[in-house]
Amino acid sequence: MTARDEILGRVRAGVGKEDFAARRAAAEAYMAARRRGPQPVIGGELATRFRAKAESLSSTVEAVAEAGEVPAAVARHLQQHGLPSSGVVTSDVAAFDWASSGLQLSPRPAVDSDLLGISGCFCAVAETGTLMLLSGPETPASVSLLPETHIALVEVSRIVATMEDAFALLRSERGSLPRAVNFISGPSRTGDIEQTIVLGAHGPCRVHLILIGA
Amino acid sequence: MRAAEHSQAMHFQARAGEKVRNPVLQRALQKAKPLFVGKRAKGIAALAEDGLAFEPLRAACEEIRNRVLADLDVWLAIFEERAKATGAEVLWARDGDEICDLVIDVARRHGVTKAAKSKSMLSEEAHLNEALAAAGIRPVETDLGEYIVQLAGETPSHIIAPAVHKTIDEVEALFAQEHGRPPEPRTSADIPAMTREARQVLRQHFLSAEMGITGANFLIAETGTASLVTNEGNGRMVTTLPKVHVVITGIEKIVPTLEDFATLMRLLPRSATGQTISNYVSLLTGTKRPGEYDGPEKTVFILVDNGRAALLGSAYQDMLRCIRCGACMNHCPVYFSLGGHAYGWVYPGPMGSVLTPLYTGIENALDLPHASTGCNQCGSVCPVRIPLPKLMHRLREEQVERGLRPWSESFGLKAWAWLAGKPKLYRWFARRASRYLNWLADDSGRIRVFGLAPGWTAGRDLAAPQGKTFHELYAARKRA
Ligand code: SF4
Repeated sequence: MTARDEILGRVRAGVGKEDFAARRAAAEAYMAARRRGPQPVIGGELATRFRAKAESLSSTVEAVAEAGEVPAAVARHLQQHGLPSSGVVTSDVAAFDWASSGLQLSPRPAVDSDLLGISGCFCAVAETGTLMLLSGPETPASVSLLPETHIALVEVSRIVATMEDAFALLRSERGSLPRAVNFISGPSRTGDIEQTIVLGAHGPCRVHLILIGA
Repeated sequence: MRAAEHSQAMHFQARAGEKVRNPVLQRALQKAKPLFVGKRAKGIAALAEDGLAFEPLRAACEEIRNRVLADLDVWLAIFEERAKATGAEVLWARDGDEICDLVIDVARRHGVTKAAKSKSMLSEEAHLNEALAAAGIRPVETDLGEYIVQLAGETPSHIIAPAVHKTIDEVEALFAQEHGRPPEPRTSADIPAMTREARQVLRQHFLSAEMGITGANFLIAETGTASLVTNEGNGRMVTTLPKVHVVITGIEKIVPTLEDFATLMRLLPRSATGQTISNYVSLLTGTKRPGEYDGPEKTVFILVDNGRAALLGSAYQDMLRCIRCGACMNHCPVYFSLGGHAYGWVYPGPMGSVLTPLYTGIENALDLPHASTGCNQCGSVCPVRIPLPKLMHRLREEQVERGLRPWSESFGLKAWAWLAGKPKLYRWFARRASRYLNWLADDSGRIRVFGLAPGWTAGRDLAAPQGKTFHELYAARKRA
């Protein structure tokens, strides 16, 4: 007997029920209902909540009124912190006029030597101050992962309350899951040496968010 | 190889003694405990800010996990079907040996010489690293804690903080040796520099490994997805850069929907580290899509039994709800007196005291179900309401039913039962015993070595009974 058949046989014996077809139909119905568990009550503006939570997770945040201000705001931030002004950008935000603010950005996946990665996001979650990024040809996951500095552009209109709302948006706009959905909440961190928290374990050491339309 | 052959759980008493007397370990543990407890308490208290409460939320988490276990055959079928539909391969392993064989086979098919690993407890159950090395494939642990433990040639002592037993000096010695530099005196101010050093070394492994190996915090049936929750980002690295991704998980790890996953994510990080969310939560579905540059070309799920199916429908089914958050050990006085290695197998603390006997044989871990003070701290923090003390108690009963307790214990209990049925004799015996104990005690009324059970007083004193026996006092009162 194959391992699969033997394990499934043991599982069936342990479950101890007949009528597989009826139970399967019940499982399908349960999935289709998309039932939610206890939901948080998020008072006030979603953008305010998102910003406060993101900052509490060690991200820095700047708000700009409109998209045209983004390249200058990014350039200013990099300069203030003495950070490199060249790197990679995901194609969905490559069309900004980065060059006129003195930024040299290539629309391609990141490699080890890239120090700056700029991305958009699919949406953001106010509850936890989290970005939701989808992988794809236009939006390689490496841009938000390999460089030490990750800058993400977040349109205020794309901030939803909860992870459940983010999934609902994903289903309605895309239908199915991409290869990787990455929820990102601040810079990478570890506490594995004597429980001391250090930022920049394997992923970015700093995450800066530009809120557009605030 | 059967899990029991690797388990050291039968040496619990000897190892416990060693651990209690190890000052370096005790320092590390005493430093960690208040941090773990304090962070979780804050994380749970913060639920109230959003109008949420722990009890209804954990009831919801418990219900999700119970729903899956009640019809696990159905959910496995759905998961397998949908994972295959995304282009992933789904394989099954009865035990640790089969895990190793399958991983090595996949590695050979794809010309893999190095595997970068994100934390997987099942690969510890299987002793996968040894098997890979023997097959000429280099395994590199990339979670910083696991990396430290791998350099030390040890096993993790905690399921979410694998190197919690290591002090900074020990870590420095390991890094100096592995990274080929002289050791330096280190204080906690150097921890960022040490972390950076490890980052640089491990980055090269991420870039050169042809295979990434991970566990999965959950498998999502609806979409055929593996979810990975990490803070360091190593889970993302090993699933973005190498061309092959192998996911090794237990068959019980399924949750039905993305909504259910979101519910569980409100308690998993809070219970583990007190965080409202972990830095990286990734949902991985299938392989690299057309036109995509990064991500694996090949994704393989290995669904593992290794003792799990046998718990379904048994008195221990509740244990399969476990989401591996570590809260039970973080709140366990026994765990923090001994550290995780004393437990002798992969899983320490209260969840280990239940899982080790169940997965490696009750007769191979006789002490573990007794490694409890009965305080139920573990049961009260568990986010999926596993009644851990009750399960340990059931294991103790089973030891007795199967005649596995030492003869002296069952003889003692039988003798007591016989004596208790004879009031006159009992009173006479109690008076004698009380005098014998007084005679054993020193001036401060403490017994340093108890003749009938010297082991019991090896690490503590026994207070000698003071004054008259209960029966004497009771009789005197009635007369008055
Ligand atoms: S038994 Fe409960 S508390 Fe312990 S690791 Fe599992 S889920 Fe967490």
